[in-house]
Amino acid sequence: MEEVQGKRAGVGREAVLLATILVLAAALSVARPGFLNSENLISIATGMVYDLPIAMAATLVLVVGGIDLSLGAVLALSSVVTTLSLRAGAPIPLAILAGLAVAAAVGALNGLLVTRFRLAPFIVTLGTMSLARGAAVVLTSGYMVAGLPPAFLALGRERFLLLPVAIWIVAALLIAGHTLLLRYRPLHDAFYVGQNKEAARLSGLRADAVTTSVYVISALLAGVAALFMSSRLGMGYARFGELAELRAIAAAVLGGASFSGGAGSILGSALGVLLLALIQNGFVLLNLSIHWQNVATGLVLLLAITIDALRRRHAGERA
Amino acid sequence: MTALVALDGVSKRFGRNTVLQDVSLQVAPGSIHAVVGENGAGKSTLMNILSGLHQPDGGRLLIDGEVARLKGPLDAIDRGISAVHQELSLFPNRTIAENIMVRREPARYGFVKRAELEARAGEALARIGSALDPSQPLSGLGIGEQQVVEIARALERRARLLILDEPTAALTDHDASRLLDVLRDLRAKGAAVLYVSHRLAEVLSIADTISVLRDGRLVATLQGAEATEDDLVRLMVGREPEPLAARSAGAPGPDVLVASNLGRPKAFADVSFSLRRGEVLGFAGLIGAGRTEVARAIFGADALVTGSMTLDGAPFRPRSPREAIALGVSYLTEDRRALGLFPGLSLGDNVVAASQPAVASRLGFLRPERLKEAAMAFLRRLDVRPLDASVEVANLSGGNQQKVLLARWLMAVPRVFIVDEPTRGVDVGAKGRIHAEIQDLARSGVSVLLVSSDLREVLALSHRVAVFRAGRLVRILEAAEANEETVMRYAAL
Repeated sequence: MEEVQGKRAGVGREAVLLATILVLAAALSVARPGFLNSENLISIATGMVYDLPIAMAATLVLVVGGIDLSLGAVLALSSVVTTLSLRAGAPIPLAILAGLAVAAAVGALNGLLVTRFRLAPFIVTLGTMSLARGAAVVLTSGYMVAGLPPAFLALGRERFLLLPVAIWIVAALLIAGHTLLLRYRPLHDAFYVGQNKEAARLSGLRADAVTTSVYVISALLAGVAALFMSSRLGMGYARFGELAELRAIAAAVLGGASFSGGAGSILGSALGVLLLALIQNGFVLLNLSIHWQNVATGLVLLLAITIDALRRRHAGERA
Repeated sequence: MTALVALDGVSKRFGRNTVLQDVSLQVAPGSIHAVVGENGAGKSTLMNILSGLHQPDGGRLLIDGEVARLKGPLDAIDRGISAVHQELSLFPNRTIAENIMVRREPARYGFVKRAELEARAGEALARIGSALDPSQPLSGLGIGEQQVVEIARALERRARLLILDEPTAALTDHDASRLLDVLRDLRAKGAAVLYVSHRLAEVLSIADTISVLRDGRLVATLQGAEATEDDLVRLMVGREPEPLAARSAGAPGPDVLVASNLGRPKAFADVSFSLRRGEVLGFAGLIGAGRTEVARAIFGADALVTGSMTLDGAPFRPRSPREAIALGVSYLTEDRRALGLFPGLSLGDNVVAASQPAVASRLGFLRPERLKEAAMAFLRRLDVRPLDASVEVANLSGGNQQKVLLARWLMAVPRVFIVDEPTRGVDVGAKGRIHAEIQDLARSGVSVLLVSSDLREVLALSHRVAVFRAGRLVRILEAAEANEETVMRYAAL
């Protein structure tokens, strides 16, 4: 199946990532046997629950040839809207819906500005990032929104078959997202649009509709992350998700997504998130200074994209 | 008098393709020297050699009677040779003065002296009779005025030879005649002009000397005063007119696509024709004559402002390619890299792009096996190498890439198939295969609109030939009267 769907990075990239992760995990488990402790593993997984939906979102947008810097800010705004609605006495489903709706609205605005007005995605989402983050601050005057109903808090703390429910939901989202991106026609069209928008239009695809939908779906995924975060931490906050979009883009690029569009894999991005999470966990377990963690993350990312570029150039020379 | 610049037995190859062979010509100071020829005759390559962009593979380039080797365009400029290309090389966000003085800004300690910059730019403009304000941004100018800026820049660089490639192609008649006046004035001041153009009437009105290229060879050098349009056409085409062979068997059927008075301001106007069932209708004309614009408008890729169309008798006015495809119209683009291919995707994905519903389930899920099978059937039919649906299309040769695009549109099962430059930049083998496919399609009842700048291709495949000139369909030639000479006559005069 992979070969027919023909993405630029494909299986090779995911296998390399997986091997790197296994080596790192093996090394950590030798150095610190506590690494394999189930509580440690669950805490790694729980920490990834917020990053994974954002990474999925970042991947989809990169595939369609765009970039979304507003994801972290959308997370914050969505969390604030949901929790404020709860505080105002709205029933839980309605509050959740309100948070997702405001996320979708920002996504639609991104999509509209990028397609209808042909503005650069980087600039558009830089603007909506500021807009959404600013709105979240204005709505809360910068304070955390706490005092939420216990039933809402339970959502993020409930366990099912030993694992937090949120982990199961994110796992389901990942599998569905990965399969749909490869197999579901309207979503798979993102590869065509990202590779060559005008060729896609001339081939009868609705390039603009595909792009707009992707921005909306991505913002919704940020809304899902917001839901997990505010129910688990018991509050809404305008500073949630700061720099989340940049971590997500890093993970997506590690997983095979390209800034020139038309390439990327949700499975690859998930592995990218896992790799970054393991690095973070390793720093904690080995009692290394937290300050060096960003340096390590940066080096891994630069190394990965440099190797990838060299490999691609090499392949190009042979062809 | 020593020639300012001369070529002596110059040859140039690209890969296995010889584009210039043993070309010799001299450009005298104070003269206008025109170079004419069909599309692909080698005019651009000749220009590029003179302007230092390409090195000749054989022969010599002489400047002021001495053998010279140009290291690049900057070297050429320093030796007094400046080229104005079809794609202007200006900076739209800078002022006119900055554009004219680029690389030669008067400065002290690295700080540009603006007043002097603008004064010198103004002088350069004044020398060619232009009253443009050098402090204005370039972006406000039309194409004609931008060309004037390019020429002023060349003069400011003390160009002795000015090379112009199709300078009037994008100009209105008024701007074109103004430009020609500027060139005559330069000649009077002793500069030499090498003028590459398709427009024969214009060439005859301005050139002192005319060199005719055909298939990379210089076939004649005439004095402008004694040449006629007939001479030029015959020399450019080079063969006695051949009658159209009985290329496609079977007479075309009833009208399928009827277009009346199609138009869009600044692109094309008054385009009317009918395309019959099983017919190949050629769209001939010079590059820039508006053929692709018409083709794209029929396909719904660009807007149509005036006129109407019917398809099988029903009103037809697609607002998007999507609508056109749904009604059985396909369009093979002239620019496969920019507008056709998805370079990082597989052959399979590239082929099924326009017919995905056929390989997806009713709920919209793609079925990889069926997708691969369907793509392979077309790849095999067109003999694409490598015959492997999972290879990235970027790894293929030009000819095979073109076949992949053709496969995409064959899979869409068109009733009307618009093919735009179907064999541009492909090897001979692929060309033959693509020609055979076009003929087969017509025989099976598909109506084909063939847009091509390769005149021989148009004549070999078409039942009738519509000739375009400057955005208008000037004549539809029946098989009996269509030959290279008649087509060139309508296309160029």
